[in-house]
Amino acid sequence: MTASQSQKLKPYLYVLPLVLLLAFVFGYPLVRIFEFSFKLVRGVDGPWIGLRNYELILSQSLFWESVLHNIQLLLAIPAMVVISLLISILLYERITGWKLYRIIVFVPFVLAIPIIAVVMKRMFQFSGPVNEVLRWLSLDFMALDWIGSSDVALWTVMILIVWRESALGIILFLARLLSLDESVLEAARLDGANWWQRVWHIILPQMRGVIQFFVVVSVITILAAVFSYVYVMGGGRGGPGTATMVIEFYIFNALIRASLPGIASAASVLLFLVSVLLIFPMFRARRRVREEEA
Amino acid sequence: MSNPRLPNISRRDLLRTSAVLGGAAFGGLLPSFARAQEKTLDMWWWGEQELPGLQKFVDSSIAAYKEATVKSMLQDTAVVISQFQTAAAAGKAPDIQYLWNGVYHMESVWLGYLKGLKGLVKEEVLTASNPTALSRFGGDIYRVGWYPLPMFWCYNKTLFEKAGLDPEAPPATWDALLAACEKLKTAGIEPLGGGIQDGYWSEWYITHSLPQNLDSFGEAVELFIGDKDFRDPKYHEHWTKLAELKTRGYLNKDMSSLELYPGIDLVVAGKLAIGQTIGTRLPADSKATGGKIGYMTMPVFGKGKLAGIPVVDVQGLGISTNAEDPQAAAAFLEFLNSPERLKAFWDATGWLPSNTTFDASVIADPSVRGLWENWGLKPNISNVTNLVPGQFYERAAIPTGQQIVQGSMSGEQAGELASNTAKEWREFNPDMVENYRKWALDLSAPI
Repeated sequence: MTASQSQKLKPYLYVLPLVLLLAFVFGYPLVRIFEFSFKLVRGVDGPWIGLRNYELILSQSLFWESVLHNIQLLLAIPAMVVISLLISILLYERITGWKLYRIIVFVPFVLAIPIIAVVMKRMFQFSGPVNEVLRWLSLDFMALDWIGSSDVALWTVMILIVWRESALGIILFLARLLSLDESVLEAARLDGANWWQRVWHIILPQMRGVIQFFVVVSVITILAAVFSYVYVMGGGRGGPGTATMVIEFYIFNALIRASLPGIASAASVLLFLVSVLLIFPMFRARRRVREEEA
Repeated sequence: MSNPRLPNISRRDLLRTSAVLGGAAFGGLLPSFARAQEKTLDMWWWGEQELPGLQKFVDSSIAAYKEATVKSMLQDTAVVISQFQTAAAAGKAPDIQYLWNGVYHMESVWLGYLKGLKGLVKEEVLTASNPTALSRFGGDIYRVGWYPLPMFWCYNKTLFEKAGLDPEAPPATWDALLAACEKLKTAGIEPLGGGIQDGYWSEWYITHSLPQNLDSFGEAVELFIGDKDFRDPKYHEHWTKLAELKTRGYLNKDMSSLELYPGIDLVVAGKLAIGQTIGTRLPADSKATGGKIGYMTMPVFGKGKLAGIPVVDVQGLGISTNAEDPQAAAAFLEFLNSPERLKAFWDATGWLPSNTTFDASVIADPSVRGLWENWGLKPNISNVTNLVPGQFYERAAIPTGQQIVQGSMSGEQAGELASNTAKEWREFNPDMVENYRKWALDLSAPI
């Protein structure tokens, strides 16, 4: 090997240990999950059964019910975007008490999901504080069995998701707002543009990239990171019945409670593939944010 | 050329250092060689989470045992099964393993991870510990009973008195139950229920009600392997009865949003008349109410041979096939069942060990004593939901009860869901069906 060849090889040798570590930590489990998805696994291995696990999953109503619930939860995203935008703009405009409000709205994102879910669960019980307040306000018709009714439970989980995940939106949007050129807004104000016109014509166009980024992150969160919400609010079951069952929970049940690692792996592979498809728009949105900020 | 980075060591220094290190190493080996002469047992266990005081009992037992060194590890609830099975598959399972009843350990039996205990543990110890019928497979027994979990319906005697009911004569039949619920409701008392949000109430309800139309537990297994069908009214009558309680307005209004134990607390607090509970709670609940918590079997509606028989689930301990010295492990399990250890169990936990030879004279509370005499020592059946496959448990056993209680499912619909789920389980687990079929033979034996 010539000196110039070894010189070219040197950087790769430096990163090789890290690449090997990453391949072991992330690559190996991923390969095994793909392998398990084609096996009837008992204990730690089992016979090869081809696409049988996928056939079983795709023909099971519970799986599609879980997918539907994930899709329903996606409805939380527009609410999260609107709430985050509104609050971040109000904070940006430094309404009275903005420093205190900024801390308060960040708090949900700092707290652990299981903790807030436990507290929220108590609040939303049939005899809990939320219903007590509604009854006290003579709004008995609004006092629902928030976590005990199949018709309402998923929406209650969604309320909790919106409440907590909006905090991330506020952080992102506020950071973007703080980098805006204030002179443009000042000029618009001098030209007589009202609050709504300033938001619609000046602020929102400049925030398009960060909003897209937040939407993509939120989609991935709702597809692949709502387990804690559902686990705690649904009494560890995704219920009542299967009212709040989502794909993550489906995988958990298959693996831990039904002793079907093959089925859990096949469902994980499907979820992984969907998430990968969503990662590309996320990278594009991130690039756009960087370009706008540059 | 000498390398400045290497220390300057002469041959004499090297030999001297080697001699010192070798001596030290040999010296260090001596104690471990000596230790190797002793027997060492690994024990993985669970239960402190359910019965506080077990840790103290385990520690004191290990300290008192002279025949071997026992190393114990308390397991987390979520990994009791998976941790053992993974270790067993890798050939590194502990000698002694805590085992939940029924399919929770039977799956490990089928995978070849557990040793049959017949001929290994003394027969009189095995029998007295009541490992229950659900620990038998292929003519062998795979667990030694550790502590019992009597499962029963509880009621608040004060509320019974308030409603004009006899607190010493709880309803024994379904009609008598409906009449009692009506009286309680008329008196402004929520008659029956608890908390079903986490699902366990649903499981316990099946525990008490499904056997009422069964002649043996083997018949229940036949429901899963497809020889019997939940759509047959006989096998979903229990869900129809629950729906009847709902329709008549006898279930507490907040039942769907409460969890199991807060629901039982309602009975203890005098806010709910009748509920479901387990024996480990009785000493404290009886004390808290001045002896006003009563116990009973679920009122009878069914016509099966198992109707009206008290339910006693039992937690247990088994020996893994990886055990280097199974005889030593068996000896330790026998030691845990010695009279002195049984008394130590009571002293540490305030609860009964699972052993019919236990000297019950130490029990002061008449309710607890009555429970032990009527449930523990008389004929009883195990918990039928312990033979429910995990997939069925999550997909049907839990959701059916929850949906009936919230009024969105009828008993017949519950039977339909259960039947479909059993079929689904067979498709997902073709290899398990044959095991269940063999298990049904053991479970069909007379009680």
